[in-house]
Amino acid sequence: MLDAFEVLTTSGVVVWSRTYAPVSPAIVNNFIADTFIEEKNGSIAPTDSQSAATNPAYRSDQHTLKWTFVKELGLIFVVVYRSLLHLSWVDKLVDNIKTIFVQLYGDQLTKPHTTLVECHSFDEYFDQQLRELDRSSNIGTISPIEEEEVPSNGQQSAPGLTYRGRTLNGGGAGTQDPVSTDSTPIPTPDASRPSTPGNLVVAKAGPVAKMSRRARKAQNSSSAPVSSGDESLTSSRQKKGAKATKKGRKWNAEGFADEEDDSLQLDYSQPNRASESETEAVGRSSALDAVESSTWGSRSKGKFILKDLGDEVHDILASAEAEKAEKAARAESKTGLLGSGVNTISGLFRNIVGGKTLTKADLESAMKGMEDHLLRKNVAREAAVRLCESVEKELVGVKTGNFESINAKIHSAMESSLTKMLTPTSSLDLLREIDSITSPPVTSLRKARPYVISIVGVNGVGKSTNLSKICFFLLQNKYKVLIAAGDTFRSGAVEQLAVHVRNLKELTAREGGQVELYQKGYGKDAAAVAKDAVSHAAQEGYDVVLIDTAGRRHNDQRLMSSLEKFAKFAQPDKILMVGEALVGTDSVAQARNFNAAFGSERALDGFIISKCDTVGDMVGTLVSLVHATNVPVVFVGVGQHYSDLRNFSVKWAVGKLLSSN
Amino acid sequence: MTPSIPLVIIGILIILGGPLIFHLVLASSSSYTVPPSVLLLGPDNSGKTSLMTLFERGANPSKTHTSQIAHSVELNASTDSDTKASFRNYDDATGTHTKFLLVDTPGHGKLRNVSMGKLARTEKVKAVVFMVDAAALGEQETIAPTAAYLYDVLLFLQKRASSKGKDKASIPVLIAANKMDLFTALPAAMVKSHLEVELSRIRASRSKGLLDSGVGIDDVGSEEQDGWLGEYGSDKFTFQQMNEFDIDIDVLAGSVLTEEPGADKWWWWIAQRVVG
Repeated sequence: MLDAFEVLTTSGVVVWSRTYAPVSPAIVNNFIADTFIEEKNGSIAPTDSQSAATNPAYRSDQHTLKWTFVKELGLIFVVVYRSLLHLSWVDKLVDNIKTIFVQLYGDQLTKPHTTLVECHSFDEYFDQQLRELDRSSNIGTISPIEEEEVPSNGQQSAPGLTYRGRTLNGGGAGTQDPVSTDSTPIPTPDASRPSTPGNLVVAKAGPVAKMSRRARKAQNSSSAPVSSGDESLTSSRQKKGAKATKKGRKWNAEGFADEEDDSLQLDYSQPNRASESETEAVGRSSALDAVESSTWGSRSKGKFILKDLGDEVHDILASAEAEKAEKAARAESKTGLLGSGVNTISGLFRNIVGGKTLTKADLESAMKGMEDHLLRKNVAREAAVRLCESVEKELVGVKTGNFESINAKIHSAMESSLTKMLTPTSSLDLLREIDSITSPPVTSLRKARPYVISIVGVNGVGKSTNLSKICFFLLQNKYKVLIAAGDTFRSGAVEQLAVHVRNLKELTAREGGQVELYQKGYGKDAAAVAKDAVSHAAQEGYDVVLIDTAGRRHNDQRLMSSLEKFAKFAQPDKILMVGEALVGTDSVAQARNFNAAFGSERALDGFIISKCDTVGDMVGTLVSLVHATNVPVVFVGVGQHYSDLRNFSVKWAVGKLLSSN
Repeated sequence: MTPSIPLVIIGILIILGGPLIFHLVLASSSSYTVPPSVLLLGPDNSGKTSLMTLFERGANPSKTHTSQIAHSVELNASTDSDTKASFRNYDDATGTHTKFLLVDTPGHGKLRNVSMGKLARTEKVKAVVFMVDAAALGEQETIAPTAAYLYDVLLFLQKRASSKGKDKASIPVLIAANKMDLFTALPAAMVKSHLEVELSRIRASRSKGLLDSGVGIDDVGSEEQDGWLGEYGSDKFTFQQMNEFDIDIDVLAGSVLTEEPGADKWWWWIAQRVVG
């Protein structure tokens, strides 16, 4: 069965959740980071039109996550279950829950300056959906696993819970045959109303926080409990039921006498509430609640409420379906002459003044222009299309600001999109990293060893040149550097490095840097040479080893396969790939192949973009490289001198890419 | 009269009233008074969103995950009411309360520019709360990015303070050492010293590092002093050095999830800055 279902906002707040088995929050965090922030699987920015079935499932070690996303509300619906299980109805569940939730609470989410959403009564809707979908699915495959899950979900009151759950189900949904009652609804009965005290607080604080103090006081003294807004949507009969539950729950869960009943609701500082840690609170109170509410439900109106709710849910789903169909129909058939005329005029007006809601058609021509602009900047077509699609999806349905044209909007959206893409997850401070390896802190148990950097790339992009530029930079910071001549193939390669080393020695002799060349001549195995160089450096007390490699064509399997062995032998701390800014579309394939060449455990750590001085503003190659691999750009080569190496600045690159000439 | 009196009156009304209504519509769409803001910065998984929900809800902070966008909540702070030292002041009618916005920012490395953009663009920033995970700060993997982020924030504030022209109020910084309930958590003094050591190290390596692309050779001499955090040329960085730029930095320990030590100290710090 499911492990957890969560509804969370893009600002990170979990609006509603249901947990059946403890799930580490890191799983969902990783899912968000990989899917939404880093866009690792190369997926374009997700849209709300997609259902959970079309969104690629996210898999962590043992769990599978299915998700869907509502863009305009910034809501993410995610369900977590064990990868072992094949739950065919999960997609449908996520989609239906999305529809229902948006319908019921959508307007609450658009309020500014608050994170509160009163949705404690959503539990019932969720249970109803789960029960319904679960019933229709194949029972035989799920039941054994489910039996195992039982002990893990309700810690304190597991036996009673299950027992009561079954009785409720037997009595409540009496039409089912015994097999299905047994297997299906383990999670369903235990939470017909698990509104926790925490949820209670949530429900109260919402309207209260918005009110003036006096109004709040007045409300406080009046005996009626603060009713949550969503209840008006449900039937009046259910409202009565819900209130009855609330009252009963308050007494039981808090263990307080009824003398305090009114002040209790607004007293947020109850020590026993606050002291409970978050997860505990959810688990414990939902268990407590479940027992009482299920007894209550089965005895009196359990069946009726369930049935009622089911109808309502179906109504919601049907109306959403109809709305969608209607919208599609409206899009196809234009309205009458007068209507379209007025629309066009107001559209033109809004175009200038702003406040226009953007549609795909509005954006089309402007997006085409943006794509051409990116292509002119030497961005590979693939990357340009991806960027434009993500920008387009971001903008559809968005209102333009006052006196803001579509082009300006696209420009700023593209800027943020590019910045997000090019910004590395963790910035590289090479000197600090070298220091932490070569002189580790006393408290850590690591031994000091030389820091190994190796440089790869296709032929003629400037591997040796950039290597010597890095070497010059390190020498200026007084490191002892060993350069290993790993290019044992091309004639003159070793001599070229020897010349560099001689120059560097002369240049930095008075600044205190030390540099030597390690070479074994030609024809040797490059991986073995690299390994020897590293062990030699460790013996001689070098700080940094820079390994040059032979240039290789990225689509030549024979040459590329030796890189895996090389990575295994030399164990480099950093593998940097040199890509030249001059190359065009091929850069995507280059980056992909090199990134994959080091085996499954190792990937590239960064790019050096060489020859940036030769392309002017057309620095699109670096976008292509990052797009293909998600590996950050570290250095930029901007000239012929040893000192012409720069840290990559995202702002600089974005500025160049968007400059118009 | 060819145009009748009512027609003239209606005409005058439309001519005079039209702009007025237009103005009202525009005015209602954007609020004139911007409440003061307090920014929540810090690396991911340090508890920013949790703290925000705790302050809003009074108890039981909401479950949270990695944030992708900035989000703000409206809160009331007070320095003269009965419950001034606690954020659970919803029913308190005594004293004067000041409304302010607590702005939560995403902490993920890729979204850093969103957070820094918030810092640069938000109006009336009264204070910055920089959350750190004190329980993980002992580890190199955590302290390095945390300090790098703090370095960027402080450098931005320093540049802002030293830039002449507009007379802007200085922004105090609170380093909120969160997760004190955990066993591995460092006490506030240790958090401070660890961060200071790490910041001096970053400052040293930045001064020796390569130039950023886009920075021309000509700008080097003039830019150099701007990129140095704290007292120029000093060996070790301390938070006191920021006083020179009118930036007060306090380190306070607390925890979002537990009652003890709780978040009251942070709240009191914020309340003083917002009201004062």
